[in-house]
Amino acid sequence: MNVPRLFIKPAIYRLLRHLPMPLIAILIGLLAGLGVWGVLDQVQSRAVERIFNQELTARLDLRSRESLLRFDQYMANYAATARLLANHRRLAQYLEPLFWFPEDSVQPVVYEQFQPFWLPDFFGRNALLAPSHVLLMDNRGQAREIYQAGDEPLPAEMLAESPGWAGTGDDVRAVLARAGDQPYLVVSDRVEDAGGYGMGHLVVVVPIDADFLAASEGSVSADSSAVALVDADEQRILATNEPQELFPGTQMEQWADEFVITSQSLPEYEGSNWNMLFATFIPHSSVDAMSERVVDFERNQRLIAALVFIGVFTLVIYLVSARLNRVLTRMTRFSQRALDIKQPNFKRGGNQLLLLEEWIQHFTNLVLKAREEMSRRHAHEMRETEALKAAIMEASLDAIVTLNRAGLIIDYNPMAESMLGLTAADAVHGDFARCFLDPAEQAAFFGILSQSGRRQQGARRPHARGELRARRADGARFPVEMSIVPIDIDDERVYTLYIHDATQRKAAEREIKSLARFASESPNPILRVNAEGLIVYANAASRPLTNAWASGPGELLPAAWIEEVQAALDEGHNREHEDDQGEQIYSLLFVPITDLGYVNIYARDITAVRRAEQESRQHQSELVHVCRLSTMGEVATGMAHELNQPLAAIVNYAKGASRRLQSGMLDAPPLVEAMRQISAQAQRAGEIIRRLRALVGKQAPIRSVVDLNYLVREVCGFLEFETAKLELRIALDLADGEIPVNVDLVQIEQVLLNLLRNSLDALEMRPAGQRELAILTRARAGQAIVGVVDNGPGIPPERMVHLFDPFYTTKETGMGMGLAISQTIIDDHGGEIRAESEPGAGTMFQVRLPLAEQGAADIAHELEPPLAAGVGR
Amino acid sequence: MSREETVFVVDDDQAMRSSLQWLIESMGMRVETYASAQDFLDAYYPGRAGCLLLDVRMPGMSGLELQAYLARREQRIPVIMITGHGDVSMAVKAMKSGAVDFIEKPFDDEALIISIKNALQHDEKQRALRAQRADIAARMAELTPREHEVMLMVTDGRSNKEIATALGVSAKTVEVHRARVMDKMRADSLAELVRMVLIAGGAA
Repeated sequence: MNVPRLFIKPAIYRLLRHLPMPLIAILIGLLAGLGVWGVLDQVQSRAVERIFNQELTARLDLRSRESLLRFDQYMANYAATARLLANHRRLAQYLEPLFWFPEDSVQPVVYEQFQPFWLPDFFGRNALLAPSHVLLMDNRGQAREIYQAGDEPLPAEMLAESPGWAGTGDDVRAVLARAGDQPYLVVSDRVEDAGGYGMGHLVVVVPIDADFLAASEGSVSADSSAVALVDADEQRILATNEPQELFPGTQMEQWADEFVITSQSLPEYEGSNWNMLFATFIPHSSVDAMSERVVDFERNQRLIAALVFIGVFTLVIYLVSARLNRVLTRMTRFSQRALDIKQPNFKRGGNQLLLLEEWIQHFTNLVLKAREEMSRRHAHEMRETEALKAAIMEASLDAIVTLNRAGLIIDYNPMAESMLGLTAADAVHGDFARCFLDPAEQAAFFGILSQSGRRQQGARRPHARGELRARRADGARFPVEMSIVPIDIDDERVYTLYIHDATQRKAAEREIKSLARFASESPNPILRVNAEGLIVYANAASRPLTNAWASGPGELLPAAWIEEVQAALDEGHNREHEDDQGEQIYSLLFVPITDLGYVNIYARDITAVRRAEQESRQHQSELVHVCRLSTMGEVATGMAHELNQPLAAIVNYAKGASRRLQSGMLDAPPLVEAMRQISAQAQRAGEIIRRLRALVGKQAPIRSVVDLNYLVREVCGFLEFETAKLELRIALDLADGEIPVNVDLVQIEQVLLNLLRNSLDALEMRPAGQRELAILTRARAGQAIVGVVDNGPGIPPERMVHLFDPFYTTKETGMGMGLAISQTIIDDHGGEIRAESEPGAGTMFQVRLPLAEQGAADIAHELEPPLAAGVGR
Repeated sequence: MSREETVFVVDDDQAMRSSLQWLIESMGMRVETYASAQDFLDAYYPGRAGCLLLDVRMPGMSGLELQAYLARREQRIPVIMITGHGDVSMAVKAMKSGAVDFIEKPFDDEALIISIKNALQHDEKQRALRAQRADIAARMAELTPREHEVMLMVTDGRSNKEIATALGVSAKTVEVHRARVMDKMRADSLAELVRMVLIAGGAA
């Protein structure tokens, strides 16, 4: 089956290839048109024929009716004319004098070819054929007078019939009669004479021959149709208007081939004894001609339809092909230009559809080939890339970890295994951040991760770097540098993390940095000086030192230190010196670098150290005093509470007892018991005091000979901070030389401290800058005198009385023990303490102590009496 | 002052306890003494009439702690704090946390008597009030919800007509409710009813 097709197909193809589309379109259009036409022919002509036949029958019927009507009309005209004749004046005049006797046999008067007086020529006037005979009949129906137009006499059988013609009434009566094969029209009407007497009937006899029929049909019959009177019984033609064609006397059937015959009865003339039909003959030729006309018209229409169809179809196909032509041209151009395909070479005139098909085939092949080639190349590249990537992963000194979007590890190289301490099998699918980062670091990591998605300026592809602290699987933390590169594969984004262990680098960096910054960072001045004493380098901290030297980098050292530098260089070993500049004290270490000819000077500001040493000494001794005081305070408070208990109890008992006594509850035993309790509680209080005494003890006085001036200076040292705070300096007016006193050093210091503190407290009320505090010492008349003078607000006179009472205080925090204790101490030393005050001007406390015997003789200074000199100015 | 009223003395010092007992008994009052807060708590049961004399400083549970403990337990015995010299700040703290008074050692007997009497009076009043509240609450419990509603509206100063409109009943019905409320609450006048509601409201 396929074999011939294989041969045929290329042949058809070759043929089709060279046929342009429009041509094919026209061919197809023609074929289609023919097809349409054929179908229409089949369908339509049948339908047309059927309709035509129906139409034809109707029309033939109509024609025959028309013919009959005309015939009828014609005969009616005879009837009218006969009536006119019957009632004509001349006939009446003619009949007036006549009288016909009723006889059995009458020989009528015949007027041969002579028109009698009573018969005017009406027929010619009414365009009717002249009758062959006109009869006058008497009332019995016997013909009396006969007008004979031609040679022929009235046939005898007609005459015999004539009595039957006369009508009974007044109406005209028309009947068809027949004599032999000749049919006649017989019309009769009643006639009267001038006197109105009924004479008989006028009968007009007209032979129905070819002329009669022709006249009856007039000139209407244009299509060679014919009419005939036919004997109904014998179906024989009696008369016809076309005797040349239709021979009278022939049978009707023999004309059926040539004519279409329609026969009708003649109902109007039933009165006759003859049964005749009126037949219409229409020749087949005329019918066929008509049908041909219809068919021709219909065929023309079909042809036009087919032509229009072909035209439209061809036009459409042509437009399509023109469009295809343009498409093909464009595609050819595109393929040649863009794809470098020579084929198909589009030639105008070929079959565009086939060309297009070929082109598409070709193109598809090319695309397929290209795709194959591409996928092969891609696979190759993939393999290469894979190999390369594997090699990189294997050999990388950095850990390379790939994460998916959710942060889960999807790839993990060997270095990562060793660096992070987790094998690839364990690590893959783990959450990187949770596995290897502390929670604190995770935020930073996600920061880098999200930053990596943004394109960095100047970078070829987005990435982000950062430094983090990673956590090994064993829990060890170490610094890493991390570079994150996001990679978008299709819709999935993965992140490649390059992790570099920065432990060593960090350490090395720190090392170098710290080494480099030793000198510059040093809080101590470090200088480098050359052999000439020129400062080559000085760090930032050395500025105060160089400023103090009025020198700087690039300038010379002070001369004294240049000598030191040279000495150090000469000796080749370190030398150390202190540079006391008054406010600042520096320790200088000269380190010679002999091979370079430099000396490094490491200076140290030891001011603070020296100050601190001094301060700590002060604080220590101060602490001793403060401790002692606070202990006293606590003891006093505790003692108060302890004593309060028995005292309160005593009061309660006493009050209770007196209440009972007052209210007459004189029951003795309870009262006695209360009294006993009172004495017991009193004893308890006494016991407490005794215990306290034992606790404090009466220590043996520790006495030593000291210089009163020394004591004053030391106490001033204790108070340096307080005085600095109040922005005042204690003015010292001390006696020359020593003032030896034999005292308990600590106790006397405490007295002095107490007095000075009181003064400082008082001076707080003065505005800063107006505060004055002076201490003066004198030795006079075996007495050492020390005075403390301030310009505070002074002491009101009413308070002076209680000044030395214990627990008397004006301070919010004081205990009121200071001056009381001081007085006790001074009393113990055999001295005295006094206060003088001028409210608003100031206060002076004066302590007098006996001079120690050993130096009493040596010191004989006069103490100037007006001690108030420094006060109240 | 009824016989049941007792002055409870809590002090760790035996002499203080005895002397206080002596002193207070000399005023004709009943005294019970305890050496520590714990001893007192062991012996005391809520509802005992009286007042509490409490030393601020005690080993174990201190006076302030005991006061706070009682307050937490809603045991409303009036507390008088005894403080020594220099314990003023503690006394202030005690007053702030609800002590009725504080007295300093050694005592002025007059001051102590006044203080104790005040405390006992306070206690009695509180007690009476509590009893009254309980009584009123019991009467109120007998009211139907509608009667309760009517009572609240009446004591709110609203007329029968207003109440009828608000509750959607006839004034006559309100009148009936009102009469029943007065009856059940055993109130002779509207003023008394208002007072009862106020007292009960204070308890709520």
